[in-house]
Amino acid sequence: MTKILLTAVFVLALVLPAAKAPAATAKLLYTATVYADGKNVGMKKPEGVACGNLLIVADSGNGRLLKYTVAEGELKEGTEIKIPEMPQPINVRVTAKGEILALDAKQRRIVRLGPEGEFRGYISPEGVPSPSSFIPRSFTTDSDDNIYILDIFSSRVLTVDPAGKYLRHTAFPEAYGFISDIAVDQRGTMYLLDSVKLMVYSAVKDAKGFTPLTKEMREEMYFPNALTVDSKGVIYVVDKNGGSIVTIGADGSFQGRNLSFGWKEGLLHYPSNICVNDRDEAFIADTDNNRVQMFKVIR
Amino acid sequence: MNPGHKIILTVFFCFLMIVAAAAQPDNKFKLKSGAKGKLCLNCHTAFQDKMKSTYLHTPVKGGECSGCHNPHSSSHGKLLDADTDKICFKCHGALVAGKARSIHKIAGEGQCVLCHDPHGSNNKNNLLTAGNELCFTCHSELGERVKKAQFKHSPVERGCISCHNPHASEKSDFLLETGMPDLCVKCHKTDTPSFKSRHMNYPVANARCTTCHTPHGSNKSGLLHENVHMPVANKMCNQCHDEPTSPTPFRTKREGFELCRGCHNEMVGEAFTKNRLHWPLVSREGCLSCHTPHGSLQKGLLNRKVSEICGKCHADTIARHEKAAVKHNPVKEGNCTYCHSPHASDNFLLLKQPVIELCGTCHEWQKHTTHPIGEKYIDPRNKNLNVQCLSCHRSHGTDYKNMIYFDPVSVMCTQCHKDFTR
Repeated sequence: MTKILLTAVFVLALVLPAAKAPAATAKLLYTATVYADGKNVGMKKPEGVACGNLLIVADSGNGRLLKYTVAEGELKEGTEIKIPEMPQPINVRVTAKGEILALDAKQRRIVRLGPEGEFRGYISPEGVPSPSSFIPRSFTTDSDDNIYILDIFSSRVLTVDPAGKYLRHTAFPEAYGFISDIAVDQRGTMYLLDSVKLMVYSAVKDAKGFTPLTKEMREEMYFPNALTVDSKGVIYVVDKNGGSIVTIGADGSFQGRNLSFGWKEGLLHYPSNICVNDRDEAFIADTDNNRVQMFKVIR
Repeated sequence: MNPGHKIILTVFFCFLMIVAAAAQPDNKFKLKSGAKGKLCLNCHTAFQDKMKSTYLHTPVKGGECSGCHNPHSSSHGKLLDADTDKICFKCHGALVAGKARSIHKIAGEGQCVLCHDPHGSNNKNNLLTAGNELCFTCHSELGERVKKAQFKHSPVERGCISCHNPHASEKSDFLLETGMPDLCVKCHKTDTPSFKSRHMNYPVANARCTTCHTPHGSNKSGLLHENVHMPVANKMCNQCHDEPTSPTPFRTKREGFELCRGCHNEMVGEAFTKNRLHWPLVSREGCLSCHTPHGSLQKGLLNRKVSEICGKCHADTIARHEKAAVKHNPVKEGNCTYCHSPHASDNFLLLKQPVIELCGTCHEWQKHTTHPIGEKYIDPRNKNLNVQCLSCHRSHGTDYKNMIYFDPVSVMCTQCHKDFTR
C-alpha cells in the first residue's frame, strides 16, 4: 500500500509541474549571414525566404531568386535564378515536389518554377467564385502542396490544389485592419497577420472563418508584415519597423521579442520575412541590410 | 384656554422646533452668518464684479462658495473640493453619458472651464464667449472656412449647437444631435421634384449627405465640397454607379481600383509599372483607402489630411516621430508624401528616389561637403551597405541632435571608426 501511495505521489510530482509549465519558448541564436550569391554578387533588398533542405531567397532588389544548399549550418552554392517572367519576386515557397513558387510584386502573380528554376507558368486558379479576379498579397503552401493565396482584392484566402484548381475560400475576419501574410501549420490551421491591428487570427482546417488568436499586441510590436509557424506550433512574426522577431505560442500567448534594430550581424534593419525548417534553423530576410541571416532556434 | 388657542400654540411650537432643527448644523460649527460664501467676499473683493454678471453659477448665486471650494484646506488647486477635471461632474455628471457615441474631448476630460466660467458670465450657460466664436477659438480652421464661405449654411449661422451637442451625443458621431441623413432631412424635404432632379433621381434620402456636401458652408454652389470629383460635378453619378432606376442604384459598376481605373488608367498603369506597390491600392477598399469618391476638403480628394491617412495604418511611425525630441520637418508638417510615393515606387519603403538623391532635394549641401557618402563608400558595419544619409540619421526623428541614432555623437561615429573607441 505504501509503495502504491509513494508511486502515485511521485507520478503526481512529475505530472503537475509539467502541466503548469508555460508553452515552450523559442529564442534565436545567431549563426551565420549570407550576403551574396555564388559569384559574390551582393544581395539587394531581399524580401522573401523559403527553407527546407534548400534555402531559396527572393533577392527582390536584383529581381532574382538565389538557391543555396544548407549543410551542417553552412550555406553553399547560391545559384541565381533570374527570368523575365519574374521581375520582382518578394515571397517564395518550395513544394514537396521541389517546385519553386514565387510571388512577383510587379505583376502581382504567383510564378511556378521547376527545381532548377525553369519557368513553368503562373498559378491561375480555375473555378474561383465571383469575383474571379484576385490580387495575391502573399501565399503559402501546406504539406500536400495546396496553395493558400492571400487575396486582398476580395478579402479572402483562396485555397487551390497543386495544379491550381479552386478548392475553397475563407473570408477575412470581420473588422480587420490590413492582412499582410498567411501561414499554415502541419495540421492545416491557417494563420493571418493583421499589420494594422497587430493581431494574429487563426482558422483550423475546414473552419468557416477566422477568429482572433491573439489580442491586439500594441505593446509587443510596431508594424509586423510577415509570419511563419514551425513544426512545434510556435508562430514567428516579423516586426518590420521594430527590427525584431516576435514569437507567439500556439495558444496565442506572447512569448517574447527576439533580436533588435541595427546593422551589425545578428541585428535586423527592416526585415521582411522568416522561415524555420525542421532542423530548427531560422532564416530571416534582413531586407534593408541587404542580406539573409541564419539563426538556430533554441527551445 | 379654548381649543382654538391650543391648536395655534401647538402649531407655533412645532414650527419653532423645525426651525431650531434646521438651524442645528450651523450651530454645530458655530458658523457666522454667510460663512458658506457671502463672507468670502469680505476678502475676495474683486469677486464683487463677477457677482454682477448676467448669469451666475447656481452655487455662486446662492452664496455657497463652499459648494465647490473647501474654506480651510485642499489637496487640489484653488482650494477646490475635488480635482478640476472631476468637480463639475459632481452635479453635472449626466451631461457626458456613459453610452455616448461621441464625446467632446474637453468635456470628457472634464476641462469644462475651457468653455464655461465656473462663477458667472454675461453669456447664457456661463459660456466664456457667446455663439460660434467660442467654438472657433479651438476649431479655428473651421471658423475661417465658415467666415470665408461664399455659400452659407443657415444652421451654422444660427449656431453650432443647431446640429451639435457641445458635450456628447448618444446617437451619432461628431457630436451630432442625430445621425445623418435624419438631421438633414429635418429641414430638407427629400420628396420634392426639384430635390429629386438635383440628385439625378438617385434615392439619396437615406444616403450620407456629407459625402458630397459640406455642412459648414462652401465656395461651391449646392454646398458641395471644395474639391469635387469630376463625375459628381458633372452630375454623372451613373459613370460609377448603377442607374437610379436599378434595384441597386448605389452599387458601383466595378470593385476597388478597377472602377477608378476606368478614368485614371494612366495613374494606375504607371503604378503597376513600378517594382513596389502600396498594397492598399489593390485591396478591397482600393483607392478609397485614402481617397473619397465624391468630394473632399482636401486636395486630391483625400479622405483626410495626409498624415492622418498614413497614420491609420502606420500609427507606430507617426507615434515614434511625435515622441522624438528632434523631428524631421516634412513629417512634423504631416507631409509624408514629400519622401514617400503613396501609390508605388521602385525604391524600398516607397521612397520617391534613392536615399541620397531624395535627401538632396532639400539638404543640398550634403552633396558636397559632408561625410563621404555614395556607392564608393562601404559601410564598415555591413559590407553590403553603402554609406548614405540614413547610415547615421533617422528620417522620422530621434532624441538626438541632427536626428542621429546615438548619443553622444561619438557613439555614432565609433560604430564604424572603431579605432577611436575609448
